[in-house]
Amino acid sequence: MTNSNYKLTKKDFNQINRRSLFLFQLGWNYERMQNTSYLYLILPQLQKIYGDDKEGLKKSMKTETQFFNTSNFFNTIITGTDLAIQEKEGAKGLETVAGLKVGLMGSFAAIGDSIFAALLPAIFGAIAANMATVGNPTGVLLWVAVNIGVMYFRWSQLGFAYKEGANLVTRMQSKLSALTDAATLLGVFMVGALVATMINIKIGTVFHLGDLSVVLQDKLDMILPKLVPACIVGLIYWMLGKKNMTATRAIFIVLFVSIALSAVGFIVKG
Amino acid sequence: MGIEWWQILLLTLYAGYQICDELTINSSAGSAVFAGFISGIIMGDMKTGLMIGGAMQLTVLGVGTFGGSSRIDANSGTVLATAFSVGLGMNQSQAISAIAVPVAALLIQTDILARFANTFFAHRIDRFIETENYKAIERNYLYGAIPWALSRALPVFLALTFGGGLVNTVVSYMNSQLSWLATGLETAGAVLPAVGFAILLRYLPVKKHFPYLIIGFIVTALFATIYGDVSAVGTAVTGLSKGFAHNFAGLPMLGIALIGFGFAAIEYKHSMEKHEVVAEHGSAEQQETVIDAKGEIEDDEL
Repeated sequence: MTNSNYKLTKKDFNQINRRSLFLFQLGWNYERMQNTSYLYLILPQLQKIYGDDKEGLKKSMKTETQFFNTSNFFNTIITGTDLAIQEKEGAKGLETVAGLKVGLMGSFAAIGDSIFAALLPAIFGAIAANMATVGNPTGVLLWVAVNIGVMYFRWSQLGFAYKEGANLVTRMQSKLSALTDAATLLGVFMVGALVATMINIKIGTVFHLGDLSVVLQDKLDMILPKLVPACIVGLIYWMLGKKNMTATRAIFIVLFVSIALSAVGFIVKG
Repeated sequence: MGIEWWQILLLTLYAGYQICDELTINSSAGSAVFAGFISGIIMGDMKTGLMIGGAMQLTVLGVGTFGGSSRIDANSGTVLATAFSVGLGMNQSQAISAIAVPVAALLIQTDILARFANTFFAHRIDRFIETENYKAIERNYLYGAIPWALSRALPVFLALTFGGGLVNTVVSYMNSQLSWLATGLETAGAVLPAVGFAILLRYLPVKKHFPYLIIGFIVTALFATIYGDVSAVGTAVTGLSKGFAHNFAGLPMLGIALIGFGFAAIEYKHSMEKHEVVAEHGSAEQQETVIDAKGEIEDDEL
């Protein structure tokens, strides 16, 4: 028990959520990544919890500025459980807190990345881009609307995590893994759909056999439409698996190879 | 035309804001397609902005989650490409390949600088914890926004202010002597989204879900062909007969996405049922697979 006996209120949660939504990650740095961000979110609450126990507060602040990095869509779940522990046990609970933070940040980074950093941007980014390429801004606004929904989700998890405490994670594990599974399935499906619509490249080669000219692309279309985009993506996918290949390098290789192939007339925009 | 001072000011402010938005509230104002939208409006040609932003969005579709290093900055690239395309009359596709992509790659360096700069503030915070100076802790935390904003705003400002002449020369040269390069850049712009898709596939568990990759591709490829052909026929018929006035819409991607959503819902239901069975026998095994499936992901939060 801390000597202040302070219980967090709705007002505290709102303050943490405001800071999380509008200011989290501004202090991101190479050395300990989200460490100062994590402390900044809960500093006023830590001050209230520890009251005039300055030594405890200092110890707590030092624990909270250790290396930390997780998904910014799930960070307050960890914050909520953390505060529930410190409120009950004070500085005695800090060892648990340190373990909990390191233990949870990895799995929440993985789930958060696959759903919020990869899947949603892929689907709604693709829809927005799809509409944008014909000059229609509706998709952009739809994406903003979806992200407002995500903000609500981020706002709601703190109080929930605080109430449930440390039990939360074990209870949610199966649901989260099922959700991740379904979400990645949708992602894979959508990439297939995008490959078929968003890469407008055709083979430009035409064979001349006497009077007869054979357009290679027409023959390919008889086998399967959109075969060329599928092959291009397959090739790049294979290339990305090579050692020392980064996304940026891949983009430049594709840029140069495309210019070369276009110069000799093998591929054309279509 | 040209680029007015107030346009430079607004674009610079947006460039500084967008990275902070992406780090914090994530309203999607920090996405390439939004960058195109807003810089298009500022430049007075939303359509061009949207087209450039849309193309860049597709190029970097999976980049945010690949590898764990600083990512290519498609947003600033889009801002500059849109500004020069509208302001100096550069062809859109050429602007994408010749300006947006190189700028985006170049700005990885300033991103790294921002992340380094913030280490300085983190150390100051360590000191203020020792001296129990709470106000200073909060203040130094918020200073972190400055390197972040400058890492985008400064290069964009400099390029917009001093880059115009250079871009003008390059454009006129490219349209005369180097027309093969101009066509090549356009073609490359059309291929670039393939990189985004390939990166996404590297990141997603393709081996596990490959049947859905095939279904998604084939269903869309066939529908896209049908929609395209029907609308071509429609245009031809409209040309022949004035009485025929049917409006053909393009293939709705949302519809395709909903097919995929249906499959995903089935998968979710199945795995929830499986979990319930497993839960009775202890769920240790199940939990391990969660970590395994995602094992390839590094800590790459911004």
